[in-house]
Amino acid sequence: MSGALLFSAACLLAAMGLASWSERASLSLTMAGALAGLVAAAATLLGPSDWEWTSTFLLGGERVHLRLDGVSAIFLVLVSIIGGAGAAYAREYWSGQPSAARGRVWWNALILFMGLVLVVSNGLHFLIAWEGFALCGYFLITLDSRRPEVRKAGWLYLASSHAGTLALFAFFAILAVHARTWDLGPMPGVPPSLFWLALFGFGMKAGFFPCHIWLPSAHANAPSHVSAMMSGVAIKMGIYGIVRFGGWLPVPPDAGYAVIGLGAVSALLGIAFAMAQNDIKRLLAYCSVENVGVILIGLGGALLARANGNAAWGQLALAGALLHVWNHGLFKSLLFFGAGSVLHATGTREMSRMGGLCRTMPWTAGLFAVGAAAVSGLPPLNGFVSEWLIYLGLFDAATTRAGFAWAALPAAILLAMAGALAMAAFIKAGGMVFLGAPRTRPAAEARECHAGMLAPMAVLAAACAAIGIAPGLVWPAIARAAGSWNPAWAAVKTPLFTLGPAQAALAAFAAAAGLLLWKKARANGVRRDLTWDCGYRAPTPRMQYTSGSFSEIAGGWFFWAFRPERKLRRPHGPFPSGSLRIERVPETVLERLVAPAGEVVSRLSHAALGLQQGRLQAYILYLVVGLAALSIFVFLEGSYL
Amino acid sequence: MMIVRMVLWIVLAPLLPGLINKVKAWVAGRQGPPVLQLYYDLIRLCQKGVVLSTLASPAFVVAPAVAWVAVAGAAFLLPLGPAGAGVSFRGDVILMVYLLALARFCTAWAALETGSAFEGMGAAREVSYAVLAEAAMFAAMLSLAVQTGSVSLVGMLSPAPGAGTMLLAAGMFIVLLAENCRVPFDDPNTHLELTMIHEVMVLDHSGPPLAVILHGASMKLLLFAVLLTAAVLPLGDLPPLAAAGALAGGVLLVTLGVGLTESFLARFSFRHVPLLLTMAFLLCLFSLLVAWKGGEV
Repeated sequence: MSGALLFSAACLLAAMGLASWSERASLSLTMAGALAGLVAAAATLLGPSDWEWTSTFLLGGERVHLRLDGVSAIFLVLVSIIGGAGAAYAREYWSGQPSAARGRVWWNALILFMGLVLVVSNGLHFLIAWEGFALCGYFLITLDSRRPEVRKAGWLYLASSHAGTLALFAFFAILAVHARTWDLGPMPGVPPSLFWLALFGFGMKAGFFPCHIWLPSAHANAPSHVSAMMSGVAIKMGIYGIVRFGGWLPVPPDAGYAVIGLGAVSALLGIAFAMAQNDIKRLLAYCSVENVGVILIGLGGALLARANGNAAWGQLALAGALLHVWNHGLFKSLLFFGAGSVLHATGTREMSRMGGLCRTMPWTAGLFAVGAAAVSGLPPLNGFVSEWLIYLGLFDAATTRAGFAWAALPAAILLAMAGALAMAAFIKAGGMVFLGAPRTRPAAEARECHAGMLAPMAVLAAACAAIGIAPGLVWPAIARAAGSWNPAWAAVKTPLFTLGPAQAALAAFAAAAGLLLWKKARANGVRRDLTWDCGYRAPTPRMQYTSGSFSEIAGGWFFWAFRPERKLRRPHGPFPSGSLRIERVPETVLERLVAPAGEVVSRLSHAALGLQQGRLQAYILYLVVGLAALSIFVFLEGSYL
Repeated sequence: MMIVRMVLWIVLAPLLPGLINKVKAWVAGRQGPPVLQLYYDLIRLCQKGVVLSTLASPAFVVAPAVAWVAVAGAAFLLPLGPAGAGVSFRGDVILMVYLLALARFCTAWAALETGSAFEGMGAAREVSYAVLAEAAMFAAMLSLAVQTGSVSLVGMLSPAPGAGTMLLAAGMFIVLLAENCRVPFDDPNTHLELTMIHEVMVLDHSGPPLAVILHGASMKLLLFAVLLTAAVLPLGDLPPLAAAGALAGGVLLVTLGVGLTESFLARFSFRHVPLLLTMAFLLCLFSLLVAWKGGEV
């Protein structure tokens, strides 16, 4: 185990060193490192015991203490898989760019720091690794720093990330004061209210609603392999923090309700905003907010169950949440790779400028469709398995009719609505990008992407299908993680062995039926003709349904949350000209909430600037006033005593 | 046994649209098409060739088949009174609802393949209204689960119904009308594309794929009718023969209800569709609250 992890770290460091010297060597080393990390994580998940290593080496005055247990191994698996797949994808996708070598350095550094975040078991070192991870993310997002919107997105990411890190500094410092050590582990004695600080600090990274302000622009503007890493894995580090410290620390009794509530709101509003986007990568980014919400619903259920006598349904909810961490990482990276290939081929992210790509890019289209079905939570793919576990936990909670379990009812219903909206959003994304007729010339002239980009996508799609069809295979790993989160849930029988065969049968029958029908249609004779448009024989691509019109119905229901900007010029007179209608859904939380608040702070600071006018007398006056105030304060304090 | 069950579903399903049409004709004082009309249509369509849009890919033909398998799978999970379910496990109810969602995904995906504005419109409507229908469906299933303390369809559907059953039945009937594109949500008679949800999505299908779609739609209607009947009647408390009779009678009654609704009600304007679906959701939600607050089972 130590060997595998050490080998992995060495490979990644070597890959960083060779990044600008040899592309191929660097890539192979990254892959080897990722594979070694995967092996270590898998060995921990399937083995009986955790891996722990304490050194006498001091870093920042603290002994280096590493630990890999079930919970961190789950996340390490994801880091390794997406780290390897993304590196392979980037070889074709980001080749020839001036920042390609720089990108490889930061990519390997990001994997290394994320691995460190997962294994370090000391508060101080955790903060160092966390900061390193955040900075690597910044440099990867801003790889293409010539574009102003990239720089802006990067800055927003950095600012939000540090707002969260500030809370984490406070969190770890207070934790160390109460525990009298920086070492991390189960800490029963610390005040439960610390959990709120961790929830905010890690939540900024996890990007649940309304802490998601940095997420859409950062994920949309980063190179696509980076978007995949950020969306599939990096935000999971925030989830890791919440899971980790929700498991180790005593949590307030209401934490379960709060986490379920945050999750349900994120799920519904995240996917509603995704539905309203016209930019494919922004849509995917907002969908990540939804999936973080789904994970939080499961985690909140687990917290609630643990706080109320370790109810068995909590294990199902937790297992669903942990499995969804994997699943979302897999299909979201697949979708971002797909979006990247489309962007590569057409040069645009606007879905209304695409269309019909399934004829020119059939492989990308097929793999994207698998991802779209998986993210919509449809059987027989993996998204359904984890959502099914969470639903089952919530249904079980409801059937107990225990007073505290009421939260399961709204959570299940909101999860169902979010699932239906996710399907709507991905029908829209898939339909606008790949189906119908090409809407612009670049879309019509798109070419299928290189096999080097397709192969990582195929691997991820195969993983999605495998977890969907044989969920029993991953259950031991998930159960191990759930057991190390709450030992009371270590040995519970799996429900997945009943779902697995059903999913496999569904997949087999669907494939057989599809093939049969295709053969039957071929046997009966196939004739090609124009799409039926009520007898109109000259349809143009512009007559197709657009992305905006597709989301109009559902968008109307969320008008209160979107606050869209509308511009409408109606046609007038007998010879109307120049009528238009523009509707844009802004980054509502950022533009309507955070930006005005920032404006107020900035005004106040400007007002305070008046105190600094450079006259020595004034400064002496400040000093005298300050000293007087202090003496009065000390004097009064003494009288209280 | 499993094969017999599936054959029964497949053979009986096309009867329902025929019966509804007979009811409608009877109310209007017409003779109407024969009850077996859909069978004739299906056989005829199976022998016809296929006209594909120039824009369509093979997925356009495969999608209806996957959708049909999904609906058939959902039907397989649904218990038929004394005969039980084809397969039953904890949480099968969630799989059933999501199989119907899979069918919807396939239909909408195939609709967008054609690049037709009408079909885009239909797909947008279908997936949007599904949000409310799915919320209502989950509220209904949760209320059955809470009431019976079981999370598998067999356990949820066999015991005697609770206090909120009438609310549940009303809500589920509205969901049945919406999910099966009946009046007042959709008008299966018209072929004016602008007014439709579901029918408009299948405008470009022809030949065997269309037959599969029509058959799948009839199976979905039968599925909802059986689900509604089993949720309302205490099938588990009756002797097997009586339970089978009660199930058949209930399904016929639902069919009659659909036919009568269609005869006496006009299609709603699209502005009102979400409102009616919200009402269905609220009915199911109230039944859930009744079950949650109600006494022991």
